[in-house]
Amino acid sequence: MKLTRRNFIAAVVGGIAGIQATPLPWKITDDVAIWTQNWPWVPVPPTGEFTEVSSVCNLCPGGCGIAVKKVDERAVKIEGRTDYPVNPGGICPVGMGGLQLLYDESLRFTGPMKRAGLRGAGEFTEISWGEAFDILAGRISNLRKKGTPEAIAAVDGNPEGTTVSVLIKRLMKAMGSPNYVRPLSITDTYRMGNLLMQGTLAPMAYDLENSDYVLSFGCGLLEGWGAPGRVMNAWGMWHDGNPAKRKTRIVQVESRASNTASKADMWVAPKPGTDGALALGLAHVIIKSGQYDSRFVADHSSGFDDWRSLEGTNHIGFKTLVLEKYSPEQVAKITGVNPKTIVSLAKGFANAKAPVAIYGKGKDSLNGSLYEFMAVQSLNALKGSINRSGGVLLPDPIPLSNLPPLEVDAIASEGLKRPRLDQAGTMRYPFTDSLINNFTDAINRNPKSPVDTLLVFSANPFFTLPDGGGFKNALEKVPFIVSFSPYRDETANMADLILPDCTYLEKIDDIVWPTGLQYPLYGLSKPVVEPLYNTRNTGDVVIELSRAIGESVGSGFPWENFEEALQARAKGLFDAGGGLVSYDPDAPAWQRQKAGNGPKPGYKSFDEMWEGIQSGGMWYRPVSSPKSWQGLFNTPSGKFEFCSKLIAQAIEHYSNKISKKAALKNMGLAAIDDEACMAHYQAPKAGADRSVYPLLMLPYEMINLASGWIPSPPFLYKTIFENQLLKDKSFAAINPKTAAKYHLEEGELVVVKSPAGEVEVRINLFEGAMPGIVYLPLGFGHTAYDEFLKGKGVNPNNIVQAGQDPISGYPVWWNTPVKLVKV
Amino acid sequence: MKKGNDHGKNKYGMVIDIDKCTGCGTCMVACAAENNVSVRADQSDKERTITWMNLYKISNGKEFPHTEVSYFPRPCMHCDHHPPCVSVCVSTATKLDFNTGIVSQIYTRCIGCRYCQAACPYGARYFNWWDVFPQDKGMDRYLTPEVSPRMRGVVEKCTFCHHRRMRAKTLAYAEDRREIEEGEYVTACTEACPAQAITFGDLNNPEHEVSKLIKHPFTFRLLERIGTEPKVYYHSTRDWIRKLGDNFLPGEYTPVVNQTWAEEEWSTKPGRDEF
Amino acid sequence: MKDPVNSSKKTSDKGGDRPLSGFFPRWMNINILAQDVGFFILGLIGASIVGWVIFPAVLYSKHPQPINFNHALHLDSEKVDGIEGETKAEKCLFCHAFRDDGTFVGIPKLESCTECHDDPESPLGETPEEKAFMTKYVANEEEIPWLVYSKQPDCVYFSHIAHVKMGNIDCATCHGDFADNEKLPLYVKNRLTGYSMNIWGKRISGFYWNKKFSDRMKMDDCARCHTEKGQEQNNACFVCHK
Repeated sequence: MKLTRRNFIAAVVGGIAGIQATPLPWKITDDVAIWTQNWPWVPVPPTGEFTEVSSVCNLCPGGCGIAVKKVDERAVKIEGRTDYPVNPGGICPVGMGGLQLLYDESLRFTGPMKRAGLRGAGEFTEISWGEAFDILAGRISNLRKKGTPEAIAAVDGNPEGTTVSVLIKRLMKAMGSPNYVRPLSITDTYRMGNLLMQGTLAPMAYDLENSDYVLSFGCGLLEGWGAPGRVMNAWGMWHDGNPAKRKTRIVQVESRASNTASKADMWVAPKPGTDGALALGLAHVIIKSGQYDSRFVADHSSGFDDWRSLEGTNHIGFKTLVLEKYSPEQVAKITGVNPKTIVSLAKGFANAKAPVAIYGKGKDSLNGSLYEFMAVQSLNALKGSINRSGGVLLPDPIPLSNLPPLEVDAIASEGLKRPRLDQAGTMRYPFTDSLINNFTDAINRNPKSPVDTLLVFSANPFFTLPDGGGFKNALEKVPFIVSFSPYRDETANMADLILPDCTYLEKIDDIVWPTGLQYPLYGLSKPVVEPLYNTRNTGDVVIELSRAIGESVGSGFPWENFEEALQARAKGLFDAGGGLVSYDPDAPAWQRQKAGNGPKPGYKSFDEMWEGIQSGGMWYRPVSSPKSWQGLFNTPSGKFEFCSKLIAQAIEHYSNKISKKAALKNMGLAAIDDEACMAHYQAPKAGADRSVYPLLMLPYEMINLASGWIPSPPFLYKTIFENQLLKDKSFAAINPKTAAKYHLEEGELVVVKSPAGEVEVRINLFEGAMPGIVYLPLGFGHTAYDEFLKGKGVNPNNIVQAGQDPISGYPVWWNTPVKLVKV
Repeated sequence: MKKGNDHGKNKYGMVIDIDKCTGCGTCMVACAAENNVSVRADQSDKERTITWMNLYKISNGKEFPHTEVSYFPRPCMHCDHHPPCVSVCVSTATKLDFNTGIVSQIYTRCIGCRYCQAACPYGARYFNWWDVFPQDKGMDRYLTPEVSPRMRGVVEKCTFCHHRRMRAKTLAYAEDRREIEEGEYVTACTEACPAQAITFGDLNNPEHEVSKLIKHPFTFRLLERIGTEPKVYYHSTRDWIRKLGDNFLPGEYTPVVNQTWAEEEWSTKPGRDEF
Repeated sequence: MKDPVNSSKKTSDKGGDRPLSGFFPRWMNINILAQDVGFFILGLIGASIVGWVIFPAVLYSKHPQPINFNHALHLDSEKVDGIEGETKAEKCLFCHAFRDDGTFVGIPKLESCTECHDDPESPLGETPEEKAFMTKYVANEEEIPWLVYSKQPDCVYFSHIAHVKMGNIDCATCHGDFADNEKLPLYVKNRLTGYSMNIWGKRISGFYWNKKFSDRMKMDDCARCHTEKGQEQNNACFVCHK
């Protein structure tokens, strides 16, 4: 039989009819629908056992308690801990996004590496740890053999006092180099101010939670100052309940309507860099109205009234200085703040029961000005808000043990005698520990870099220093750079050798006294997950490196590993007695417990205490009663010094070497004699022709963008507004009036030009910006990392033209003259 | 469709205290981390970036130095009365559960027509233009199995972290309890807020803090007059903020004057409310 | 058929030979009709073979488990003294347990196995499966890549504790009785969806005379049971979806 067309059609019709009676069409339809729901590239997160590890966040010196949720071996979420004294429950957005820093592989170094491409290109080849140690130890030994150990330098971004920073400092000393420098932060300003006025060495301790009037001079309370978890928790507490019955008032002194300024009860906007003058204006009103704490001033302070020295010279006191030079009208001229506002502000401060004036500059990651700090601290002294609940507390330094004394060999002791490149601690900068801007200059000034090998720890000075790109140029000149960063940051991309640290979730590390906290706290962060890659804790690496160098360097590090060194220091905590290693949320650490009523330590031996610290992540001593005045101030006068004798001595000492005029000039002082020893306002040097650069550029920080050495977790870019970053352009916030003057409109492209450089941004018209000032956000403009961060916006640090703060020598990064040029 | 969900067992809602809110964005990051929300290289394109919890920046618009900024954190409002997204959904991928008051969204059911996105008056819904996020970076290692990652082409939105309710229920069952206690189930943003600005709980429970807070004269909702009965409430003592909660015509808005507070000297401070 | 006029004439001429030829059109010729029916049935049969035999064979692939696990042996408390529990379900829960937070372990990890099978050198029994298990997995501390019959899509949230503990539903109700099972069945995988046949229906036809819950594990089956048990509120989307 022949198969005709007709037959074929019949068969097909039969087939079609028949197939309907089979599961095929129906099953396929169903399965295809299901198939479209499960693409192979949509990840299916494996499930498993849910656990939680308590640790401490180490992304900033704030050290908030974190609970990391895990599914089997994977960390899946970071949450705030409610059983940690610093931050009862909350953390900041950076800490919240921390897992991206752990798991985004393209942000990280996966093992020790050697540079393969050009500097800055970020091309590396993986090497073994053994090879890495050989290269570095060989280089260091060579320099030591040549008798030039001072050509080794270290930039250490670990917070002061942490064990890893102590070990790095020790390594530098053992090798024989004095050139250990640190990126500056507000704690450096606090340290110097406290030393000069109070003679204390413990960190700044602001008792914010117990205060009823917080007068913040520039502290970005909601921008990430101090321990963000602590400050924002206090903020929530301050705003609880009926507004009429609210106990605490917050006043923000800042030139821009930041979150803190907007959310505060009152916002006062002086010109940038005139906060000190405003504080002195308040002092004027308070002294004039006699509302100051005369008992504190009389019993516990010196330099308030005019005085006559033993030699018979007359000296003016703080009172005379302030009354003469800082009347509301005079201050209004400097600051641009209405005299009436100054008076009402002073009244508010004077009438409060437990007022506190706090000083800062945005977050705590950049330095402030010494005299501004002194002016603010003088206000506290005037109201007796020192060593009083709700004011500035004067706790003892944290009782960590000193490491055994270090014995250095002949090479090292010769090297240590050589002058520091940054001149810190010389007569010119008598109270300064470290001055990274001078260090940079020293490299840039010399035709051949005086630094041969630069070690960079937990820092990204290429990006974070407000130096107009100075450090970047310095890096190009340094022959050999070693980075210990876990991240592929800008500085690491310039390095020749990478010895990557673990990220904060993979290692043990300590947090010593979160910035601004009013009680001593030692935090311990521990590994939440096993190291994902071939990275090692820098603490361990420093110890291993010392062994690889050998000789007397190696014998200075007798510990098996980093944890042993941590324990060696923590011994002191046990010996001091009385510290707590667990926290009860019902007894906040800032609440003064009645004597004998507070929680008990509950451990009997060091081992028990260490176990407690490891599991809870903390050792702390809650706020105790105010201390006895006896011996409280360790100043030459034994009292709080409105007029610092140490400054007077330093000027005199320097004047004996060179002329007084030259000495004052070198120290950056315009004032002379007594005024130079007291808080006073000194207009910063213009630094450029203001007719060419009529505007000022002020970098500002945001809590939802990391601006320090840590990269921002990509999640943070969700929180950035369209008028802060659009595609690859960040925005400069300027007042509509200023914009109108230069015929600029919202979103328009402009070049911000300063004597130090230029950056291209878009314009954001913002009523809350002070006229005449260009505000650029910090944290954008990375040239390293991956597509989430790279090339997004500009880094204002690149155009900062920083002068030097008198006496301290710290960079004045808030005074860059700029102009706007339309693109 | 039932009219409201008064007869359901629970009715979860949220009160956000704008005065406590610091605008830090931790809620947004916590939400994204909790719910496996995707990240892209360019997140400045706000129409395509997914933020279940979103911060809106607002300003009182006054001249310097009386300017003030503030923020409206905006999750899904979980409208209680005819949620506009639910009524338009052609594939029944989104529904209002009368027993919890939560508006659900089932990704595998969604056909990606984006009608709901257009219908939502709050812009709380987001379309997945791309698959989760860049591959081969190891970033899928932090994804939680509690929330299913979405594929390209579907709409997603805040779920009031309903998986946390499931987690709480599972724990309750393990402890031989049939019901969960108040406070056992809160959203990730509530828990994460470092200033404790968010209060979350059962509006059907008159004892709970949320039920008390929503009766406060300073408490308001966004676009209240369109009648969708959102279950997310806001609270602020500042008049200009309350005024921005809806599109009022001139003279239409009547300020809430709290005598005790208005008499306080503090309320006349520069840059603050003027009645 | 070059000439349309001639050709039509020819046809009508031909038709004129038979009675009724003018009445019935040509295509109703019984022979031709029979041929049509024949081919139709041929198509029908062909399609049925494709639909009922070839299609399922192509759609599903069969995979053996990495090693055999003898449930019957492990549940026999006379042979395995570690196992505890009065009922079968309790015995199941000994290994397929709830954690303290109420989550379900599912298929136990290797560490549960090694609580008893701790020494790779000395197996507890004599089966070749155990020997393979010991040398391949225990010795290398490698997890066994089990194929999970009841694996649901990622968008599904299922709380075992709600069903087993609070709802008093026996394990066998949904999973079938594995307790007396000496050999693990083949894992039958749908090539298109990637899911096990246990989920999408043990019968390709989709028809069951007396449908048991263990026959299928699709959404309709969940909803049917919820409704039957008076738990209709649990048919809300977010109860079972995540």
